[in-house]
Amino acid sequence: MKKVIEGSQAVAEAVRLARVNIISAYPITPQTHIVERLSDFCSDGSLDARFLKVESEHSALAALIGAASSGVRTFTATSSQGLALMHELLHWTSGARLPIVMAEVNRALGPGWNIWTDQTDSLAQRDTGWIQLYCEDGQETLDTTIQAFLLAEMVNLPVMVVLDAFFLSHTYEPVDIPEQEAVDRFLPPFTPRFQLDTNNPCAFGSLVTPDSYMEMRHSIAEGMEAALDLLPEIEDRFAGIFDRRWAAIEPVECDDAEIILVTSGTVTSTCRELISDLRKRGEKVGLLKIKLFRPFPVEAIRRILAPAKKVAVIDRNFSFGASGIFAQEIRAALCNCPGHPPVFGFIAGLGGRDVTKDVLEGIYRQTDQSDRPEREDIWIGLKEVHDAAERS
Amino acid sequence: MDKKTEATQKVSLFIPRSYLTTEGNKTGSWRFLRPRYEEKTAPCSVSCPAAEDIGMIQMLTTQGSFKDAWETILRENPFPGVCGRVCFHPCEGVCNRAEFDEAVAIHVIERFLANTAHRNAFTPEVERLAPKKQNIAVIGAGPGGLSAAYFLALLGYKVDVFEGAGEPGGVLRWGIPSYRLPLAILKEEIRRIEEIGVRIQTGKPLVHRDLDTLGKEYNALFLACGHGRSMALGIPGEELEGVQDGLSFLRGIREGRMSKFSGRVAVIGGGNAAIDVARSIIRLGGKALIIYRRRRQDMPAFGEEIEMALDEGVELRELRAPVSIRKAGGNLALEVRSMKIVGTDTDGRAHIEPEEGKPEEIKISHLVAAIGERAEEPWYEPPDEGTGVLHLSHCVMAHKPGGTLVYGGDLTNGIKSVAHAVASGKEAALALDSFFTEGIESVQPRLAACRAGAGPALSMEIYTQGPRSDRSTHVVTYDEINADYFQFDPRVKQPRLLREERSRTFGEVSLKISANLAIRETERCFNCGLCNQCDNCYLFCPDLAVKKDSEALGRHIDYDYCKGCGICAVECPRNALILEEEDYEEGH
Repeated sequence: MKKVIEGSQAVAEAVRLARVNIISAYPITPQTHIVERLSDFCSDGSLDARFLKVESEHSALAALIGAASSGVRTFTATSSQGLALMHELLHWTSGARLPIVMAEVNRALGPGWNIWTDQTDSLAQRDTGWIQLYCEDGQETLDTTIQAFLLAEMVNLPVMVVLDAFFLSHTYEPVDIPEQEAVDRFLPPFTPRFQLDTNNPCAFGSLVTPDSYMEMRHSIAEGMEAALDLLPEIEDRFAGIFDRRWAAIEPVECDDAEIILVTSGTVTSTCRELISDLRKRGEKVGLLKIKLFRPFPVEAIRRILAPAKKVAVIDRNFSFGASGIFAQEIRAALCNCPGHPPVFGFIAGLGGRDVTKDVLEGIYRQTDQSDRPEREDIWIGLKEVHDAAERS
Repeated sequence: MDKKTEATQKVSLFIPRSYLTTEGNKTGSWRFLRPRYEEKTAPCSVSCPAAEDIGMIQMLTTQGSFKDAWETILRENPFPGVCGRVCFHPCEGVCNRAEFDEAVAIHVIERFLANTAHRNAFTPEVERLAPKKQNIAVIGAGPGGLSAAYFLALLGYKVDVFEGAGEPGGVLRWGIPSYRLPLAILKEEIRRIEEIGVRIQTGKPLVHRDLDTLGKEYNALFLACGHGRSMALGIPGEELEGVQDGLSFLRGIREGRMSKFSGRVAVIGGGNAAIDVARSIIRLGGKALIIYRRRRQDMPAFGEEIEMALDEGVELRELRAPVSIRKAGGNLALEVRSMKIVGTDTDGRAHIEPEEGKPEEIKISHLVAAIGERAEEPWYEPPDEGTGVLHLSHCVMAHKPGGTLVYGGDLTNGIKSVAHAVASGKEAALALDSFFTEGIESVQPRLAACRAGAGPALSMEIYTQGPRSDRSTHVVTYDEINADYFQFDPRVKQPRLLREERSRTFGEVSLKISANLAIRETERCFNCGLCNQCDNCYLFCPDLAVKKDSEALGRHIDYDYCKGCGICAVECPRNALILEEEDYEEGH
């Protein structure tokens, strides 16, 4: 049934439909609507789950680690500083191979204190062993969240479903909310491959010597690779039931494109319009939307981008002292392809600043008019500012 | 589903998993500090002359175990109903809770428990020792004598009490007015003393030589004859009609001989007797004027009593001393001289001298002199020195070849209070028991060993090696309480008769409180040094080293796994745990 709902509600509906057993979360703007809605579901009985109130995000994830170890389906949601506070336990979750699903609402890190969208919070956790899926709209968010449970449980790795603050989390759109029966067909009850069992007591996560540690890390790496292979299977299965399909990456008009813009999140939708306009004017331009950031679909990306003349990556994030993070990853993916196109890295929309079609067109023009990028990071729309520290 | 299972089986899953129990890792070997359950002594129980186990009484009340709480009082004091009403509750003055918000209303709870026992006709179950062969005569059935008889009977002795008056009770019967102590309460508590085998013979005034006769019949005598006679003012006119002494006045009321008053009655004195007289005069329709030669803050009467008296309309003239009384028409004229303060006496009270100038004359209808009391007979008084004379904290023991005589009650106590009289009777009983069982040399060491904290109050339960004797004598201070576990809560207000009603009746001023209020009040108690099974240690121990069991405190520490982190001791709200350095031998 189609309903006009927020991105946050789309997440909550998906969690309800996934029949999650344990939710533990600590509220933080702009994630709050997700957990508020879930807490309503728990109290009105539409979701038969325990909602654990905790005193911090660190505890929220710690509680889920315990719950997931006992073999139940678990969910949390957070944002920005909250995710940063979870950092230690993000590593623990993947190391312990627990299929916890999290909704991560991209929000800028402070100071300066800022509640608007910015991808640096989730991208800074790229090495924690979590699968990361960046969503573009409400429908994709709902569908991806349902799929996330299946993916996580198949590879025994945690999944982060990432959505932009406000542009997605607080924006109302028509979203098709599937029937419970259909979701049940897609997502069977969780059958853990290991769990705490009082009849067969054991301890997880104990001391591991240099003799075995590497093998354990490699096993996680293999799990990540498996996720890359399994995601298309999950998409097929999903499309078979719901007649909708998403993908790890989505090329738009890329076949003959000379310049390809690379985006993630809600900027993608704006970019789709630009591409359509430019194509009408005969410009050979394409768009590559990246949804799956971890594991990074290197092969698929190479296939799309390597033939282009130029690549322009739009990053709503920044790694200080380096460049935009998607740009780094794209460069790394291409560097071993002989004669690969130059990669322009654009920084735009940090801290929730709007990335309009004009901004994107400017990026396209700048890419078109330059042979090679002058810098690894090109900041878009910077204003002249005065040093505030020395104000008397 | 099949597909999912199939796919899942392909995914590598290599994780650390151990089937070894961690019990093999005896983390107790890391310990250099050792926590230990050690109950300690609450300051209230130390300042109570009767050494009542107040922290425990409050805890039992909180748990709704009113009978157990009442019996806990009875272990140390046969007069909960009396003391819940007339005691000046020094316990509340040292209550650690006062540093947090307000002291626990201990006396209100004592009164509540006595009332509850009365209403439910509880039969106390207080431990009594096996009968012993000695018999003891107690002379004087006041609170001191009756307490001695009570504790001696609990210790297994045969006790006879000889009382000169027609009814037992002493000052409780004849001195304290019924608005403070209803007769029924006193009678019931005396009846309970009789029920454990004490024989009280009333209407048997003794003369000095009777001591010799009794000395032959009994193995020991306890003499607590109290202050039976008021001191004279020693001024002209004292013999006039309309002038009487405080003790006779109060006795007259208790005997039902007192008629209505009208006009102004002067009350000379500043002790509790003077206050009782003045408040009684108000109830009899008169106007009471207390004349005191020093200031209000120097009065020996208990502050709360003075406050109530003034509230009821008693007037107070400070720094006035009576000079003479004369007839003036149908009334009396009292001449008083102003006094001035010149320095401070050794006891901290003002040192006074008469002022120059003409005395002031006050018209009065009657005068009651309550400036102090003394023993009725010189032989009631204990000897000062001499061979075999042992000065104990609340008694004087005269041990001679001809017989053993212990003096107690008001005549041996610095502070004349019912609780001190109880203390004196208890000390006499314990001293005699030590003497009979282990000889005269054992008296002082055995008394020293049963004091609450550093003393001087003595505990019967500690003396008889009850559970309380396991506690440390360390007196808990406020700093040692983890106040984070308590919330501010105002002290219960003792409900009282309206002032208007008080002036018309000898009915009891203090009213009862409900069980709900009592429990709420006792919940305020820190139970300093006592374990109330709050389970903080159990919940906080990171090593699960606090084990529940059926021992007294319901728990013990498993030292195989206790790392000595000390969290249990810090999180114990009441200081019932102690943290000590491990005494590892060299090379351990």
